[in-house]
Amino acid sequence: MNPVTTRIFHISGMHCKACTILIEDALGELPYVERAEVSLADNRVAVTGAFKDSPEDTAEEMTRLVQSRGYTISAEKNERGARWGDFAYAVPIALVFIAAFVLLQKAGLTSFLTGSDVSYGTAFLIGLIASVSSCLAVVGGLVLSLSASSAREGGTWRTQALFHAGRLGGFFFLGGLVGLLGNSLHLGLTANIVLSVLVALVMLVLGVNLLDVFSFAKRFQLALPARFSRHIARGAKHDHYLAPIVVGVGTFFLPCGFTQSMQIYALSTGSFSQGALTMIAFALGTLPMLALLSFGSLNIAHKPWKGIFFKTAGIIVIALALVNGANALATAGVIDPLFNF
Amino acid sequence: MRMDTKLIISLAVSAVLIGWAFWVVSPRSEPAPALAQIVDGRQIIDISAKGGYSPRIVEAKAGVPTVLRVRTNGTFDCSASLVIPALSYRAFLKPAGVEEIAISAEEAQGTLQGLCSMGMYNFQIIFR
Repeated sequence: MNPVTTRIFHISGMHCKACTILIEDALGELPYVERAEVSLADNRVAVTGAFKDSPEDTAEEMTRLVQSRGYTISAEKNERGARWGDFAYAVPIALVFIAAFVLLQKAGLTSFLTGSDVSYGTAFLIGLIASVSSCLAVVGGLVLSLSASSAREGGTWRTQALFHAGRLGGFFFLGGLVGLLGNSLHLGLTANIVLSVLVALVMLVLGVNLLDVFSFAKRFQLALPARFSRHIARGAKHDHYLAPIVVGVGTFFLPCGFTQSMQIYALSTGSFSQGALTMIAFALGTLPMLALLSFGSLNIAHKPWKGIFFKTAGIIVIALALVNGANALATAGVIDPLFNF
Repeated sequence: MRMDTKLIISLAVSAVLIGWAFWVVSPRSEPAPALAQIVDGRQIIDISAKGGYSPRIVEAKAGVPTVLRVRTNGTFDCSASLVIPALSYRAFLKPAGVEEIAISAEEAQGTLQGLCSMGMYNFQIIFR
């Protein structure tokens, strides 16, 4: 029998409170481990047990247990420089995307639309255009930040699929409701501004977390009670059902000019089926772009260059959050508009 | 060290790109402001809304009862969702049609800012 000792190992790839629990649980499955205590702030785990191998071999064995989730455990502390090096790639890539987004806004896509009649085909086309124009800043930015964060915490394709199902179903039923009631469901001006600021703040926090550089952002996450995080972490294994669906339905109310004009049209139809079909045709039009963002993040989250991807996504999300925040304040009349796309 | 050089170069390139993107979207290099017309003692301002507002800047006489006419034609984008904070005005314009917004003589002062509800597009009416 080997004597029981405590060894310190270093972890890389750890981002959140949920990660600590996943790692503690995984290491606890080793027969010789009595206790594992992960420190998120120090990227360390203190393991107590009757070790039979050298620290290096033990670290290798532990890594095998957690590497599917993107963590590496080592006996020696890894160079931190590599993390910052990712920015040499992430910053230019992010800027190319931001510049492309700005130019796309200048391309005058809206001139494709003429007349005031909306067939289901037109609604689909409007959805396609909406998903690459101003709505991309709000809806696309939110989808990118949520799905990249979810993918990093071990969420699966089912989480993303449920989000899109929730969005399509929500647009169908709420669109039908708008048509039936002849009353639009969009929010008032103040609520709209409050929601825009909230969305911008959520995106800002998620974006900063994706950058994975500020340890104070990690401490923020400690504010989530351990029990709650444990629930999320364990839930990730079986996947959550309700949360992604609710968020998907909620996108109906996001401030997006196209969604609101489509609602006005759905309202004028005066029938459940026409309103519902118009809105779902619109939502289907936005699906290719949004699906690309969410399933793309999920796919890349398991690639070796995921560090670059998460940082790129983080920069883009932060930029969009700042644009949305400035726009919301301009709409409130607090500041003069900074942009005109 | 090599990583630092790379980082500095990429940050410099980024700064240039950001500056350029802001230069493209910033509200500058305006065309000459359009002038409002006065018909039968009423000042009339026409603005068309589609993928933005045009003209972006209108000069008008201060202290005159004014009608702002916003024309839409196949407008489904954000510019259909019009907000004028100073007037506490907010409306969703029909995809095609003309929306008339009355501006009283007292309100026709200074600069009136109009924008779409997401803030992507804007226009100004300058009362002199």
